[in-house]
Amino acid sequence: MNRVTKAILLAAAASALLLSGCGQKKEVNDSGKLNVMASFYPMYDFAVKIGGDKVNVTNMVPAGTEPHDWEPATKDITGLEKADVFVYSGAGIEHWVEDVLKSLKNNNLTVTEASSGISLLKGEEQEEAQSEEHEHGEFDPHVWLSPVNAKKEMENIKDAFVKADPANEAYYQANYDTYASKFDELDKKYKDTLTPLPNKSVVVAHEAFGYLCNAYGLTQMGIEGLTPDSEPDPARMAEVIDFVKENKVKTIFFEDLVSPKVAETIAKETGAKTEVLNPLEGLTDEQLKNGDDYFSVMEKNLTVLKEALE
Amino acid sequence: MEIFNYAFMQRAFVVGILLAMVIPCIGVVIVLKRLSMIGDALSHTSLAGVAFGLIIGINPVAGAVAACIMAALGIEAIRRRLPRYSEMSIAIIMSAGIGLAGVLSGFVKNSANFNSFLFGSIVAISDMEMFLVIGVSLTVLLLFVLLYKELFYIALDERSARLAGVPVKIVNFIFTVLTAVTVSIAARTVGALIVSSMMVIPTACSMQFSKNYRQTVLYAIVFDVVFMIIGLFAAYYLGLKPGGTIVLVGVVFLLFIFIGKKLLGVKG
Repeated sequence: MNRVTKAILLAAAASALLLSGCGQKKEVNDSGKLNVMASFYPMYDFAVKIGGDKVNVTNMVPAGTEPHDWEPATKDITGLEKADVFVYSGAGIEHWVEDVLKSLKNNNLTVTEASSGISLLKGEEQEEAQSEEHEHGEFDPHVWLSPVNAKKEMENIKDAFVKADPANEAYYQANYDTYASKFDELDKKYKDTLTPLPNKSVVVAHEAFGYLCNAYGLTQMGIEGLTPDSEPDPARMAEVIDFVKENKVKTIFFEDLVSPKVAETIAKETGAKTEVLNPLEGLTDEQLKNGDDYFSVMEKNLTVLKEALE
Repeated sequence: MEIFNYAFMQRAFVVGILLAMVIPCIGVVIVLKRLSMIGDALSHTSLAGVAFGLIIGINPVAGAVAACIMAALGIEAIRRRLPRYSEMSIAIIMSAGIGLAGVLSGFVKNSANFNSFLFGSIVAISDMEMFLVIGVSLTVLLLFVLLYKELFYIALDERSARLAGVPVKIVNFIFTVLTAVTVSIAARTVGALIVSSMMVIPTACSMQFSKNYRQTVLYAIVFDVVFMIIGLFAAYYLGLKPGGTIVLVGVVFLLFIFIGKKLLGVKG
């Protein structure tokens, strides 16, 4: 059903484009602000932080939705037609980007793949990540989960803003400098906290934390491969359970946007507890209301990681 | 054996075998009433119930059960009006259910929450779900035994059942509610795919051999338990997705039965 829904959505989006694409002039941006479309939450958060009050940022994936399965709807395509800048993370997480960009008629759009310039990890668990692996390509797309990479992504976004709106270059640069030092601080804090801890193995819902683990000497064991939300196979679950027992893992991590059932099953079997480790693929409405952002979530992640690895 | 060292696999076997014994009881009657697709229709409608439950803040499982009961009664009502096209009633309710689920899901804030109520997996079963399944299974078995004759009459021919003095309306009502509750609970626990196939495939296999109603029921149960056990073993040792594996085991069996009968038929 999922496939069918996707096909219908794409068809609808495509036909809407056909209908609206011809003859429509690009609307003049009356507010004087840069219109930015961000592909999902971290991109949105970084764009808002750089752009401040000089930009209007739209997060394409709605709050509480898992970006791996998301497809743009008609209004997202029209949004892109009217936008000045489109920011996406790339490395395959937005599998729809290529097709959508090809179909756009917007000549003034500055497109940025925020992960460009970051050395990508190969998706190690390719064979394990069954059904949907082809959508992911060969790389692990979850680059933003290491603060160093996140800083690079933000820099790419800053460059895109400067290109689209050179008049405000100093403003964007100043914002970037503020947050760049925050990323450095966060990176240092992660290093200082995680390096001395005795345990190095984390069990997570899906293998989103490759870059984070790489940066701080941890290893991740994912219940699912690179994409969440497929039915687990029992052999993999048995493997994870053995791993948890052998390495005396204290905490099984799950995610806000993915069903916790499998994590709970494994936790119960091994006597471990469950805890949320947020891969920042999206925040829920509640978290947004509480004023959470990249930094606050990463701080929380560090706290639970510390508890789990002590 | 290694496979039984894991509590989640033990649970999968307990719940799986229990459901494999109960679902064919319903399945045989369903098939004879020409309502084979009812499992799919109900599990889709239960999505609407889950969404509704999440929106108004009641327990989504209760929402699913309520939606399934309403849908099943709806199917019964339409079927009575169009007695010669009973499969139409399923198509109608299924479209209504999917449509409603689609519209309602737009109002559900957290999709993870939604997903966790939609998709059960036989290898991730919680305590509550296991007790629910045990409770439902025992109820179904008990009622099936108590109403054995009545259901048999109705399944074969409703009109003669009525003439023979069977309280068709009441029995149909009980059976419909039973089906709805079983499908909604089982779909949430082991997945909709397993439930709808377990209703039909074992019955189809069994009908290739059985000479009467009682045999059909018994063989169907045996077949289903065998499919379940082989499916779980295969999924574990070959690293396959359990839901699909269990269904495919049944389909392959059915295929072999057809081929075997053909070959024997040619020889004889």
